[in-house]
Amino acid sequence: METRGKISAGSIVPAGQRALVVRSAALVARGLRDLTRDSNWVVKKIFTGYSSALAISGLGHVCFISREFQRGGQYRTGDYGQRVVVYDVELSTPMLALSVPNETAVGSQDLAAAFAWSPTTRFLVAAWAGWQSALHSFDLHGKMFLGTFGEFGMVPKYLVWSGTEKYFAEACSGGKQACLRLWRVRDDGMSPGGPLYGQPTSELSVPGWLERQTYEAEFGEDGAFAGYGRTVFSPDEKTLASVVEIHGDWADDSIALLAVPTLKKKNAFQAQGHITDLCWTHDGRKIIYCAAGQAYSLAVETMYFEPLPFGAELCVCHAHLPLCICYSSWLKNSAKGRLFLVDMNRMEVLDEYAAEGVVNLRWSSDGAKAYAATQHGMAYIYEPTLL
Amino acid sequence: MTLKTHIKTVKPEERELASKREEQATLEVELAERELRSANLRAELGAFERRYLHFVGVRYAELDELKAQIAERLAKEHPGVERLQQNARAARAAASETKSTAGEDCNEEPVAFESSPEMKRLYREVAKRVHPDLTSDREDRNKRQQLMAEANEAYERGDESKLIRILTEYECSPEAVQGEGAGSELVRVIRRISQARGRLSEIEAEMQELLRSDLYQLKSRLDEAQRHGRDVLKEMVEKVEEQIAQAKRRLQL
Repeated sequence: METRGKISAGSIVPAGQRALVVRSAALVARGLRDLTRDSNWVVKKIFTGYSSALAISGLGHVCFISREFQRGGQYRTGDYGQRVVVYDVELSTPMLALSVPNETAVGSQDLAAAFAWSPTTRFLVAAWAGWQSALHSFDLHGKMFLGTFGEFGMVPKYLVWSGTEKYFAEACSGGKQACLRLWRVRDDGMSPGGPLYGQPTSELSVPGWLERQTYEAEFGEDGAFAGYGRTVFSPDEKTLASVVEIHGDWADDSIALLAVPTLKKKNAFQAQGHITDLCWTHDGRKIIYCAAGQAYSLAVETMYFEPLPFGAELCVCHAHLPLCICYSSWLKNSAKGRLFLVDMNRMEVLDEYAAEGVVNLRWSSDGAKAYAATQHGMAYIYEPTLL
Repeated sequence: MTLKTHIKTVKPEERELASKREEQATLEVELAERELRSANLRAELGAFERRYLHFVGVRYAELDELKAQIAERLAKEHPGVERLQQNARAARAAASETKSTAGEDCNEEPVAFESSPEMKRLYREVAKRVHPDLTSDREDRNKRQQLMAEANEAYERGDESKLIRILTEYECSPEAVQGEGAGSELVRVIRRISQARGRLSEIEAEMQELLRSDLYQLKSRLDEAQRHGRDVLKEMVEKVEEQIAQAKRRLQL
């Protein structure tokens, strides 16, 4: 009988599987990703509902006030009052809900609110009209409420930390009661009340120089001082630029440049129209501001200003590169808004993307990405290949 | 003298052996066919991978090198910013990784894989005769595995003469010497059938793995686009070159 082999003691020897080895796996995945995306923007839905006040951290965490917190696919309202809920933009998932002890639920949740993430994203300062009238601070590492400080008469319009977390500022409107307050952040380690407490280091109420040189209107009337709006620290933390808001549809806001930490006036500049946002360029030489839908640049040394070749309502400059991310809700011949990047050296608009209802913009802590969030829970992530 | 009538009787094990041999023969054909399909897919993907790296990979390597230079320049301009120093180190590591994956650019353009009918016939023949899952002898299996690997390489390269040499070499080898005994042979055939079935499952799994791979997804998209008259590989090259130009401009600032 013919056979083609012999039976050996070892009987069956299984053949080794040929593993698929693709040395180029990472490069292939990169090509596939680049092929499928038609822009540097990624769009995600991060939460359902509506919030006109929210803030994005440098790690892409979005916070706002809500009674609802979705976890495990289910919304929970429970017996809690409104809480600060934090969503992760990158993962499109809810992260945590921070509650304030002894606060009860109120009927409406879309009341005035303001938030400020510390640059390290460890601390969050929040103010909300439904809570006790004071700034509330939270520790995101410990996931807890730290305490309150800085009692106020009216919910602040804007809260901001300086770049190295050395200072914190609060800008309030309210005419006669309006104020700009600055705290030096405690650097004596982590105390029970958190890094911010007590009375502000300095405070500025109605700017005398503005009343004298500009308007004689009574508080609350057109042309009168309305309060402080957007406020930002210079990169070297020596100057605070704050928008001085004026009542009236046709009034012109100003930008006050104030010394840190004294808040003494260094300079002031009157813009044309209401200022909706401002930021410092990475080198600290200019301020980019948006007034009446138009973007401008203001040289800090000379106070020379010029309109930029694009319209915008929100703007944030990159910390180290000549780049600025902007949002404009209004386009010529179109009802659609847009997000876009600007090369500040060439004044060239890059990477435009249609977007509506954007209320907050932020560069990531490492400067490699930018985030935008809308009041309807949409998030836009800018992931350029060159940053 | 008694006349004895010699009646040829077929023993049960011989009947079973004949039946199993038929089953084995059918499986050998199927196995060879599946091996051919798997080898074709691997060869096509291998050729595509080489083309992709030749056209797109080397440009990604150039882009990553420029990105590393940009990050290093930024780090140098801001020596006190630790984050920028970290970014620069990460960008340099990424550039080295991409360069090593993409390899050095060579002038010779890789071509797409194509196989002639004669190559396919020869490969089927080798798979039927030499397949390691069609023996139960350990030494023979090792020899067959070696030959099968050589056959796969030869097929991918389109080397017809090498496939003929592999066939000849195996047919003349001592392992091809045939044995004896219906019972023993039946056991061998049953085991070969079992191994062949096992190998068929493995081929199926390998094929699924290949079809799920990013490389196959990318190739499919490119093939589909090509059917509609688009050269997506060229478009990818242009896209990366645009990024390279942007990076160069940034370096010149």
